[in-house]
Amino acid sequence: MVRGQPLIAVDRISFQVGEGEVFGLLGPNGAGKTTTLRMVMGLLEPDEGFVEIEGLRTDHHASLIRHRLGLISTNDGVYPWLSVREMLMYFADLYAVDVEVAKQRLEELSDLLGIRSFLDQRCSTLSTGQKQRVTLARGLMHDPPVMLLDEPTRGLDVVGSQTVFEFIELLKKRGKSVVLSTHRLDEAERVCDRFGLLHHGTVRYEGRLEDLRALTGKTHLVDMFIDLIRSDQEQKIEPSVAGAS
Amino acid sequence: MQEYFSKGRLGRLCLKELRESLRDRRTIITLILMPILVYPLLSMALQRLILGTVSGPSDKQAYVLGAADETTAQVIAAALRETQRAAGEGIRPSIDIVRLPPRSVGDDSTSTEPDESTNQAIRIHRDAAFSLVVPDGLSVGEALRNGVLDLAVQVGTVQKRALGDGRSSPVFDFEMEFREGDPRSEAAMLEFRKAMQLVNDYQSAMLRGPSIPPAVQLLATAVGQRMDPTASLAGVLPLVLILMTITGAVYPAIDLTAGERERGTMEAMIATPAPRFILLLSKYVAVVTVAVLTALANLFASWVTLSTGGLGKALLGDRGFSFWALVQILPLLVIFAAFFSAILLAMCSFARSFKEAQAYLIPVMLVSLAPALVTLMPNIEFSTLLGIVPLVNILLLSRDIMTGAPAALPAFAAVISTLMYAAAALVVASRLFGAESATAGSQESWSEMFQRPKKWRELPDLGELAIYLAFLFPIFFIVTNLAGQQNLSIANRLWTNAALLLILFLLCPACFAWYRKLRYRSTFLLHFGAPVGSGPAWLGAIRWVGGLVAAVLLGLGFWIIAYEVLKTLSDWGFGKLSLERSGTLDQLTREFRQIPFWIIFATSALIPAIAEEFFFRGFVLSAFRHRVSNGRAILYSALIFGVFHVINGSTLSIERFVPTLLIGLALGLLAVRTRSLWPGILTHTIHNGLLFWLTRFDKQELEKWLGADNEHFPWIWIVGSVLVVGAGLLVLWLSTPDPSHESPT
Repeated sequence: MVRGQPLIAVDRISFQVGEGEVFGLLGPNGAGKTTTLRMVMGLLEPDEGFVEIEGLRTDHHASLIRHRLGLISTNDGVYPWLSVREMLMYFADLYAVDVEVAKQRLEELSDLLGIRSFLDQRCSTLSTGQKQRVTLARGLMHDPPVMLLDEPTRGLDVVGSQTVFEFIELLKKRGKSVVLSTHRLDEAERVCDRFGLLHHGTVRYEGRLEDLRALTGKTHLVDMFIDLIRSDQEQKIEPSVAGAS
Repeated sequence: MQEYFSKGRLGRLCLKELRESLRDRRTIITLILMPILVYPLLSMALQRLILGTVSGPSDKQAYVLGAADETTAQVIAAALRETQRAAGEGIRPSIDIVRLPPRSVGDDSTSTEPDESTNQAIRIHRDAAFSLVVPDGLSVGEALRNGVLDLAVQVGTVQKRALGDGRSSPVFDFEMEFREGDPRSEAAMLEFRKAMQLVNDYQSAMLRGPSIPPAVQLLATAVGQRMDPTASLAGVLPLVLILMTITGAVYPAIDLTAGERERGTMEAMIATPAPRFILLLSKYVAVVTVAVLTALANLFASWVTLSTGGLGKALLGDRGFSFWALVQILPLLVIFAAFFSAILLAMCSFARSFKEAQAYLIPVMLVSLAPALVTLMPNIEFSTLLGIVPLVNILLLSRDIMTGAPAALPAFAAVISTLMYAAAALVVASRLFGAESATAGSQESWSEMFQRPKKWRELPDLGELAIYLAFLFPIFFIVTNLAGQQNLSIANRLWTNAALLLILFLLCPACFAWYRKLRYRSTFLLHFGAPVGSGPAWLGAIRWVGGLVAAVLLGLGFWIIAYEVLKTLSDWGFGKLSLERSGTLDQLTREFRQIPFWIIFATSALIPAIAEEFFFRGFVLSAFRHRVSNGRAILYSALIFGVFHVINGSTLSIERFVPTLLIGLALGLLAVRTRSLWPGILTHTIHNGLLFWLTRFDKQELEKWLGADNEHFPWIWIVGSVLVVGAGLLVLWLSTPDPSHESPT
């Protein structure tokens, strides 16, 4: 579970995500979504601020935090010369998961994500869809309480995207806190519980869909965003309205 | 970090990297196919090139004999005709003498044909034919050195002697000059000698008495520096082996770093809690393994090629490529693989794609190839200084192993410095590997790595130690060597050494620590007084005094043990006592005794104690304590302490390693238990002071103490010193708190 201590990333960004909740970090390309996630991962050191997970802070327990985070991103690849099983067990080792526990989890995930039939195949022989499912399983090998999804559907077809949505549902059911970064606003509307609208490195709006509707007077996220970008283009510099954290 | 070293996890991580490399067809091609193809092809090419130029005489080409003028040439021709006549009379019927048609030898402009009788190659038997040349425009000596001639022959007196049957025969006095070390020239000398011997035998037979003086008197002189043509060619093989080892390492190095990024697995891997050093270490192990496998495959293939064909002997002399040389060269290739793999990983960690990695590596390979080609030059000596030049040192050492015995000091320097460079390169690689900047695309990671840290820290990390050692070792090596070669008086030499110790082991580490923001007090254990965590003040005082008493006892007792260990090792043949080797002990002690003892004490006991304790028990021990248990930290720091003491001026004193290691262990224990550098400085000063005090006495005085053999201490002294050291350790144990119950700082 994530307790919402203030996170100052990119430029005064702060949000909190609860157990079983999906938070959508939304914004056009270059808005600062990936940078924000990098800071959460501890790959980038923020000048100020921190992330807190289960009472642990990135500035003091960077390594322990990483044990509690899972990351799945657009560019995720597989090891062509390893079998699916070898690759997943490798990541279990990287997360220092006990071998027996890892084997058990692999069994469980094989059924859950439907990868059992090609567990011992080399990754280079897999289809795109199969690779995608392997990547999703990889993110869960250490059973992290928090899952970061960085543009997970970019470049995927309808079937692929559907797999991701099902995966997010699965995460929710398991009580994971999910941060989903995407520029596909329609998708976000479908799966996210709360949203942070990121633009030029700052969170412009943050809250549930109803909150945002009330705040902006628009029904859809897409309209809200177009409004936001237009206002920006018209040089109407609005005061940064950050959602309450 | 600990969780990655336990339960075989590191092994499994390495295994993953190895699987990835070894399942890749491209790795397998370099590993297996290349050696199978390269050596036979290389062998064929070299065989044509080398066997033609270096090997013994071919049966078609006549040896070129040079004479200073036409008269001499005619005399030599007459002597050779005597040989034919001897053969014609049936003295040696087995020798086949034929006349060959005229044959031009060498440059036409430098040879003239004296008369018709010498204008032919005279064939003595199927392996020896001579043609006579009078060099034009240069002396026979020059012509010989230039390689125009195979043999120069000068004629002394010529006499006629009557044979029994009324015939007469000339008596010649010849002086031959040949190029030593040149097989062709040597063979020409031997064949000419054989031919002349035939003349003598013939004449002896004619005169029916063996006591007749030989009709031809021969004198052979070698000219020129002995040039070993095999030495330069022997350099080819190590170069090929090293190049193949590099080739083996390049692909996995790129694949496991830049390839990881290109496949899109890098980010997921970096996002795990596994420390980057562990990730890199597992990749490093895989790259080194593939490189070593490649080296093994190449070594084996080259060994088979060279020992089955005649090439081995042509390249490496009569012994050829012996199995023993192979056994010696393999560890060198392993060390080289360890070094170059780290360099490759450091370079590739920078790259974001395969192409980029290749673009970085090509200049590196070319740059490293240039000095490597230098090793192919004939007569390049494996000198002390070349011992620390990366790549060149391993090449020259391999060459010397193949052709004969390598020099010990450069060999030692080569191995130790290469290992230290490898460690430093690995540290650099682990800092660059997966660096955020490389992931994000900026190129600042190099400068960031050498920037001053933002925060002050208590202890140095092992990376800092590795980088410092990689710079210190070669500098220390060169400087002590240069200092050893200067023609200084003993007093000046002592002061120079002391100054060098202060600069390299105190001043430079202090500057380095300042730059890297390491707190002096904790890094160099400068704490003076009761150890931290001693409890009440009175207990603290007792503990501090106890530590000092222990230090004095260790100093008083250890020198005899150190001396005895050194002596015993010398007796067993591990070098000789350095004093004996670098001159006569007596003379040195006499000179020593003329120097006031305070100078010796200051330069050989006090200053070394301060400087070495500062570095070895301060910086080195602290860096290890940061990462490993106190016990291991003491051991590792003592090992490094020992290695540095093996270099003794311009000589290598292997026998000093063990006693230095022992005293290093004691000093490390003292530093860890008392949490202070000062007791160790006390022990070190007393220890060195007493050892040098021994040199104040002459032989007669020493005999009173040491007995008639003047070699070992009486056993009662040895037992006494062991007891004193034991007492010192006991006092230390009882008086100081156990450091394992507290944090390293």
